[in-house]
Amino acid sequence: MKNKNIITLGVLIILTVVTGLVSENHQSYQTANMFIMLLSGLKFLLVAFQFMELKKANIFWKMTLIVFIILFTSLVLII
Amino acid sequence: MKTKAIDYGSIFYPPGGILLWIIIFLELITFGIALVFFAISSKENPEMFSESREHLNGVFGVINTIFLLTSGFFMANTVSAVKKNKIAKAKLYILVTMGFGVLFLILKSFEYSGKIATGYTMGYNLFFNYYWLLTLFHVIHVLVGLVILTFTYFSFKKPAENLEIEDVEASAAFWHMCDLIWLLLFPMLYLIS
Repeated sequence: MKNKNIITLGVLIILTVVTGLVSENHQSYQTANMFIMLLSGLKFLLVAFQFMELKKANIFWKMTLIVFIILFTSLVLII
Repeated sequence: MKTKAIDYGSIFYPPGGILLWIIIFLELITFGIALVFFAISSKENPEMFSESREHLNGVFGVINTIFLLTSGFFMANTVSAVKKNKIAKAKLYILVTMGFGVLFLILKSFEYSGKIATGYTMGYNLFFNYYWLLTLFHVIHVLVGLVILTFTYFSFKKPAENLEIEDVEASAAFWHMCDLIWLLLFPMLYLIS
């Protein structure tokens, strides 16, 4: 559990730095925005499933959170 | 410690409790709707939003995200230590959790003071109205979270048999909710154009 949490934290920090770098250095706004939002959605799910232990919860809670983040990310990217 | 077996697989017992998860979803939906309106406003005023975003310090945003994520990591370790009845470790972990929360607030205050000094206050333009409303509302959640964690820390001083794992999990879920909200705010306000 502790090892998984350390790996998760490492991945989260790397993804955060990568999104920061992509935001500063990119060719196309659209591609950069999509990349940043997808990585941010992944970070959101990692925190919920690993740190909040949502992975142990009923499928209803897992699916509701996944649907929320997909809906939110899609809406922001479509707008 | 009171640790009656909890069936997390049941729809009624998600880790942290069903009531807290209802609150978490209500908060996420509230911030989500506000951010969708932010995106619509950004689409309608692309130049103003793009120019205003230049005044935000992305490095502060990245460091603050790392502070909150690290804080969340130590909170997860706190819950794990309590479940293993390692209360001394749990006390240390929760203090580190709160320490990173305080670091987040210190950096945010530094960022806010810079914005106020340069005149980018509420009312400067639509972008900064969203910035102040959304980030201040989030800061209030962090402050409430710190108060809850302080109470949780003092609950560790009680005799072990009076300590309820559900209370610790609920406090942890609230603290992680602050992470989740920030993970929505950070890319929208600081990163995407």
